Amino acid sequence: MQETRRMRSFRILTGAVLITWLVLPLIPLAIWSFAKGWFYPDLLPRNWSLRAWEYALSDTAGVIDSLWLTIWISLAATALSILVGVPAGRALGMYKFRGKEIVELMILAPTIVPGIAVVLGIHSVFISMGLNNSVTGVILVHLIPTLPYMVLVMAGIFANYDPAYEAQARSLGASPLKTFWYVTLPAIRPGIIVGGLFAFLVSWSQYILTLLIGGGRVETLPLLLFNFATAGRNDITGAIGMIYILPGIVILLLTAKHLSGRSGAVGGFGQI
Amino acid sequence: MKPKIRMSLLASALVLTPFGALADTADGAALNAMSWDDVVELARGGEVNWFLWGGSDNINQYVTEYIGGRLKADYDITLNRVGVSDTVEAVNIVLGEKESGVTDSGSVDMIWINGENFRTMKQGDLAYCGYTDLLPNNALINWDNPAIANDFGVPVEGCEVPWSKAQFAFAYDTSRFDNPPKSIGALIDWVKENPGRFTYPAPPDFNGSVFVRHVFYHAAGGVDNLLGDFDQAKYDDVSAKTWQILNDLEPYLWREGKTYPASISAMEQLFANSEVDLTFNYEPSGVGLNIENGVFPPTTQGYGLTDGTIGNTNYTIIPFNSPNKAAALVLQNILLSGEAQYQKALPTVWGAAPAIEIDRTSPEVQTNFASLERHPNVVPAGELAKAALPELQASWISAIERGWLEHVGR
Repeated sequence: MQETRRMRSFRILTGAVLITWLVLPLIPLAIWSFAKGWFYPDLLPRNWSLRAWEYALSDTAGVIDSLWLTIWISLAATALSILVGVPAGRALGMYKFRGKEIVELMILAPTIVPGIAVVLGIHSVFISMGLNNSVTGVILVHLIPTLPYMVLVMAGIFANYDPAYEAQARSLGASPLKTFWYVTLPAIRPGIIVGGLFAFLVSWSQYILTLLIGGGRVETLPLLLFNFATAGRNDITGAIGMIYILPGIVILLLTAKHLSGRSGAVGGFGQI
Repeated sequence: MKPKIRMSLLASALVLTPFGALADTADGAALNAMSWDDVVELARGGEVNWFLWGGSDNINQYVTEYIGGRLKADYDITLNRVGVSDTVEAVNIVLGEKESGVTDSGSVDMIWINGENFRTMKQGDLAYCGYTDLLPNNALINWDNPAIANDFGVPVEGCEVPWSKAQFAFAYDTSRFDNPPKSIGALIDWVKENPGRFTYPAPPDFNGSVFVRHVFYHAAGGVDNLLGDFDQAKYDDVSAKTWQILNDLEPYLWREGKTYPASISAMEQLFANSEVDLTFNYEPSGVGLNIENGVFPPTTQGYGLTDGTIGNTNYTIIPFNSPNKAAALVLQNILLSGEAQYQKALPTVWGAAPAIEIDRTSPEVQTNFASLERHPNVVPAGELAKAALPELQASWISAIERGWLEHVGR
């Protein structure tokens, strides 16, 4: 009994620290978005204003259009990541084959090599394929940074996955599609959710790849946000920033139960 | 004709066909030979993608709402304002397209530009040139003025048109102290008397770089000796003195000069939060906008230097591979009009100094400009212009920036 109580208070404490850590930095951002000037040593702004929000929601700023576009791009990049990442993760997690280390290194490379170093080369490849300046091109180029996360999570899942369950289902007469739907998918779903969340958030925060491949025509939220963040406009940065973090929070809340230590995404096959 | 060649010609014709409609407005040489009315007819109903620094809501609103509104109403042209954090991003897009062989369907139709970026565009043959005589409002530009005809020492030669003029100015907070230092010599003494209250952005930041050039001019005893092509002997002599001054100053800077702000906006934040007491900007009207936007305290006051400050002109350029050159030309012509330049000069809109000759505009525009009220906290352009210093050629500037990194910023 003593042990579990201590565990519970530890859990509450870490929860409180995490919330402080995640929420506290957002408070100045929220205050700034309603401030007209906020100078040291004032604890709160002396003048309040809705101007930053009026601008952020105006047609000139284009934030709302950009929000929908960014959601669409990130969802599409996530869906494609899942399509590619699940089979790739299965191959890497379940089979040994010649050159596996090289394949793993190649998949991990985008997380190691800084994007800025390769983006000009990627740009010319995309131009030669006629994919630049288009939303399609931006979705495809986002796969470069999102895939490593998807594949890694899925490889972890499949490493703990026992294909005998599939064999059993098949021997009982299930078609391959039915086997996938009723046996494989429930087993790997936590991994798909966690990997997909990573993929979505990584795509959501892309800047330089979007700018170059989109040729400035594909204006996602990070592009708009950076304009004001680098210019020192804390008020408008705050307002766009609040809009920018919304989808991340919504998705985090929807998938929260899969992110805890008890989820199958960490332990693999233990839950069903 | 060999069948192989004929086949490849046929193939290239097929590839080019979908762009047939674009070819008219993408072909700069053909446009240069047209009359202005034909260019306008060609541009009507089209679109234009203008890449410019997007960090000011005032500028964004002026461009999208006022300029975009006029383009739409008068010419049915759609203006896509593409905000960038740094102009070099737009230049890199054009550069990448050129390397990939995109010659008539680029993504950039116009860039707000000057200095180093213009030099890159011109030297790399990335600019569409030779069209300035086509623009009716070209008559308002005084190309005989060397400060207009040269962009940081690089001859413009019809490859861009001016948009605004700017001149470096300092600013201080009147609620903190009186009598700010009004020359570089006085500033050096002031910094030593007020340790920790001054800093400057590390070159190659645009504004940090121009501050270092002011010290360079001071060390040279005037700018007259430095004009013209790069001179290694002169540079060695003056730069040694400049690094001496700046290194002597370093212990008295913010955080004892152990670090420098990375950008002008970082320094403006330090000024706003009273960590340093002086700020400066190549765009003097920025003080007014920063007060209106709550970035600076309302007691901030701009001022010039008695020994002069450096002035420059900024421009708009059309890339060689813009597919919408006709619409970009119409846009440039609107930007140069007396009405648009007056709107831009209004302190509530932007407060940027016009790049055209006011006395060549219509009587109505002249009256408007005469009655223009400046922002009370912005140093008047006319007062600054009394002590204006020219910019050096770009080769000098890059040598000074490299030298600073090696000898001061290391």
